[in-house]
Amino acid sequence: MTQKLPKYRSQMRIYVDVMRVIQREDNRAKPTRILYGANLSHDRLIKYLEELKTLGVIEEVANEDDRFYKLTQKGIEFLNQFRAIERFAGAFGFAI
Amino acid sequence: MRKILVGPLWFVGFDSLMEFVAFIIALAVAYQAFKGYRLTKQKTLLYVHFSFALLSAGLLIDSLAGFLGILARTLRGAVAVTVVGYAIYFLAQALAYGILIFAYVSQTRTMSTASISLWITPLLGSVTLQAAQAPPIKLLGPLVEYHPVSEIVLLFLVFYITVQTGLNYSATKDGNALLVFLGFLLLALSHLLFILTPVGAVLFVIGHVLQLLGFVSLLAMLLRVTSSK
Repeated sequence: MTQKLPKYRSQMRIYVDVMRVIQREDNRAKPTRILYGANLSHDRLIKYLEELKTLGVIEEVANEDDRFYKLTQKGIEFLNQFRAIERFAGAFGFAI
Repeated sequence: MRKILVGPLWFVGFDSLMEFVAFIIALAVAYQAFKGYRLTKQKTLLYVHFSFALLSAGLLIDSLAGFLGILARTLRGAVAVTVVGYAIYFLAQALAYGILIFAYVSQTRTMSTASISLWITPLLGSVTLQAAQAPPIKLLGPLVEYHPVSEIVLLFLVFYITVQTGLNYSATKDGNALLVFLGFLLLALSHLLFILTPVGAVLFVIGHVLQLLGFVSLLAMLLRVTSSK
C-alpha cells in the first residue's frame, strides 16, 4: 500500500533510530556513529541523547580517551516491545 | 436491520460459542493495539484499539444474547433478548469497521484510497436503499427473521478494509500482512454468506465458520508479532 509518509520523523521514531544505531554497533556506539546513523545534527543529537539518558534507556560510558553510549536493560526491553508493535501496526498497513 | 438469524436448529448454540471465541481474539488484538498506543502514542493504534474493542464488545453481547436465548427458549423474553443482542452487535461492528476505515483514510490519503472511496460510497448507498425496501426474510417460523441491510452494510465496510489490507500485503509481501488480509477477507466472505442465507441455511453455518477462521487468522498474526524476536 502506498502509505502517506510523515514529513518529519516523530520524536519516538528518532528515539528508536538512535537506539537502533547503538544496538547495531554491538551496544557500544560513539556519538559520531549515532549522528550519522540516525541522521541528526549535532545539536539535536545532544538533545536526544540527554533525553534518552533521562528516560533510562541508554547510558553514557566515558573514560580518559573514549566516550560511547550503550543501551540499558530497560532500553533493550523497550526496543523489543517497539519491534513487536511495529510489526503489529505494519501488518495492518500502518507506519509508526 | 437483521433481527434474528439462527440458521439450522442443530447449529443453535454453536454460533454463540464461535462468537465467544472471536470475542476473546478481538479483545487480545484490542489489548495489543492499546499496548502499542501506550508505547508510541500513535493515534492509528488507538483507532485500531477502539475498533477491536468495539468488535469484541459486539461479539460478546451477541454471543451472550444467543446463550440467553437458548436458556430462556420457553420464555417470551427470549426473542427480545436476541433481537437487542443482534442490534447492538450490528451497531458495534459498523462503528468498529468505520473507525478502522477512518484510520486508513487518515493515514493513507492516496489516489487508490480516494478512488475506492469514490465508487464504494455511492454503491453502498444504492445497494442499501434497494435492500431496505426488501421485506425481512423469515426462516424456521417466527424465531428466524432477518433483513439483509445490516449484513450488506457490514460487507461493504469490511470489503474496504480487505482492499486496504490486500494492498498492504501486495506492497510488503509480509507474512503478518497476509494473515491480516486473510482475516478480513474471511470476515467479508462470512458477511456475504450471511446475506445469502435464504438460499440455504448451511450458508449461515459456513459463514460463522469463516468468521471464526478470520479471527483465528488475526490471532495467528498476533502470536507471530508478539513471539518472534
